[in-house]
Amino acid sequence: MEINTLPISASTRGKLISTGYTSLSSLSSISPSRLAQDLRIQESEAVEILKVASVNCGVGNSDGTRAIVAGAQTAWDMLHEEEFARRITTSCEEFDQILGGGISLKEVTEFGGVPGIGKTQMGIQLAVNVQIPVDYGGLGGKAIYIDTEGSFMVERALQIAEACVEDLLDNGPARKDFRASQPNLSAKNLLRDIFYFRVCSYTEQIALVNYLEKFISEHKEVKAIIVDSVTFHFRQDFQDMALRTRLLSNMALKLMQLAKKFNLAVVLMNQVTTKYCDGSFRLTLALGDSWSHTCTNRVILYWEGNERYAYMDKSPSLPSASAPYAVTSKGIRSSASNCKRIKLMQA
Amino acid sequence: MPLFTVSKPIPSLSYTMLNMCTCIVALAGPGDKSSKPVRSHQMQPQNLPLLSPQKCTLGCPILDRSLAGGIPCKSITEIVAESGSGKTQLCLQLLLTAQLPTPLGGLSASALYIHTEFPFPLRRLRQLANSFKSSYSNVFASSSFDPCGLIFVHAVHTADQLFDLLLKLDSVLENPPTESPVKLIVIDSIAALFRSEFENNSGDLKRRSSLFFKIAGKLKLQAERFGLAVVITNQVVDVVTSSEGINGLRIGNLENLYSSGRRVYPALGPSWAHCVNSRLFVSRDEEILADHVRSGEYVCRQTRRQLHVLFAPHLPVSSCSFMITRDGVVGVER
Repeated sequence: MEINTLPISASTRGKLISTGYTSLSSLSSISPSRLAQDLRIQESEAVEILKVASVNCGVGNSDGTRAIVAGAQTAWDMLHEEEFARRITTSCEEFDQILGGGISLKEVTEFGGVPGIGKTQMGIQLAVNVQIPVDYGGLGGKAIYIDTEGSFMVERALQIAEACVEDLLDNGPARKDFRASQPNLSAKNLLRDIFYFRVCSYTEQIALVNYLEKFISEHKEVKAIIVDSVTFHFRQDFQDMALRTRLLSNMALKLMQLAKKFNLAVVLMNQVTTKYCDGSFRLTLALGDSWSHTCTNRVILYWEGNERYAYMDKSPSLPSASAPYAVTSKGIRSSASNCKRIKLMQA
Repeated sequence: MPLFTVSKPIPSLSYTMLNMCTCIVALAGPGDKSSKPVRSHQMQPQNLPLLSPQKCTLGCPILDRSLAGGIPCKSITEIVAESGSGKTQLCLQLLLTAQLPTPLGGLSASALYIHTEFPFPLRRLRQLANSFKSSYSNVFASSSFDPCGLIFVHAVHTADQLFDLLLKLDSVLENPPTESPVKLIVIDSIAALFRSEFENNSGDLKRRSSLFFKIAGKLKLQAERFGLAVVITNQVVDVVTSSEGINGLRIGNLENLYSSGRRVYPALGPSWAHCVNSRLFVSRDEEILADHVRSGEYVCRQTRRQLHVLFAPHLPVSSCSFMITRDGVVGVER
């Protein structure tokens, strides 16, 4: 028995064995408080036991990770991981740049803006783009699309998917055999791999978010959850605003956990509202101040002249910046004037 | 096993109750074959390629083309225009075309017209119905058939009345009174319900916008469940200040909206704009259409009317000219 090799007192060893902790691995993922409870000892003692166990465990470890507590990572490891993490492209280069290369996995990203600015278009685009095969530099994942407003139009999704396939075949690896090896790359298949849920009340919305963990553990290929919009049902007739805040933060927390646990991107669409302050009305994103803390990244979409712009409003690691983008028949793309600018520079 | 079904919203659940309810729903998800719970169909993803919505034709190929087939079902389409632009004409026409069989672009269904401001334009509908009947005489063979028999009309005067009507509507939608189910709801106009009752202060505006979302939420639920096309008209307000402030806020494809030479803005503000799926704008400008003056047709008013797509999840930026004739609204090729 592995436990016998631990340099701990005989009585503690006895307690461990009698409560069923016979291997080192059984101690690797347990919390000190739980262990203290099981063994009926002080928590400080439990911490000591786990420390000893992890040291002994670490000696035998060959992969060289230097985790202090099992399950924790050093910042170095995380940085390393992040560098290699792939992101979901928006199909607009400038937009990707302000996002640090695209929508990052394991994080919650919020998009907000006035109606018609392109939130739904962005949602559909991401649901398609997350499926770009690994060979083409994509994630080869699947998407969950939660439609709360009824704005998801299949005909539009089909257009965007067709344009995506076309672009991939045009710009992807040119070898003919390679193309032949991608028989699944068709707009129809892209649509098939969007798990579409239509949600008609906030009760349903919460229920669905709670159910997602089970659903995703059965569909591990899911790499993006898109909620369009997170807001709609929460602006209806809520008498108790404190309840609304709690429900929303609980839902956001669950989505964040899903993002971390299954290594996927969560994208939330938000609406705008007018806020009354200092005697005038101002435009802000909906759902209040406490909500604005819940999302890791916040991108505001807005009009400037005749062009659509995205502004990185909040991000733990990226600077605030803005970039133009366009909604075209193919979906989200670089804005035309920007393309001209690039062409001029080349000439 | 105690079960909630979440297909109906439960209005006053406490926080803990909500979480309990969701747990049970989660248990009742697919894959749990041991029990036979009442399962909300939303807990399973829907098959996308089968979901293409039905569309209701406007009765004119040019207008239909600009809207990619017509007014989509399971969705709310808003028509914004100043009075006298032809939004009621468009609505009346839809009430009739919805009755067309599906191969002809209709919904083979009856329609509900909820009016809030003017007396119902019965004479005009009568006129349109007669020409509708004669132009589709091959479809509606029976001579006793009257298109007006499939149009339900209801007046409401306050927002609360409208919401009450929508609640009562569930049973009508489930058990249609005529052979053809109601598949089109027109509300003409939403703005009139909200203009008088609410003050321009923070509390009233909050109450107002939560009522918007309540009404839109109910309409969208019914649209989804019964495959309804919902058309709502809205008025415009003049932009009085310069482009500063909320009224100068750009929503949709056009930077500025002009009608009759004035700069206008859709009524009810940005909150309401979030409640609809698509927004169309009708502009009118007094302009002499030379061709028609020469031909001497009096029915062609000398007004240039255009239908613009301000935003819609499935439509690109587009505009389409149209005119109002004795037989209805027809698009004009440019």
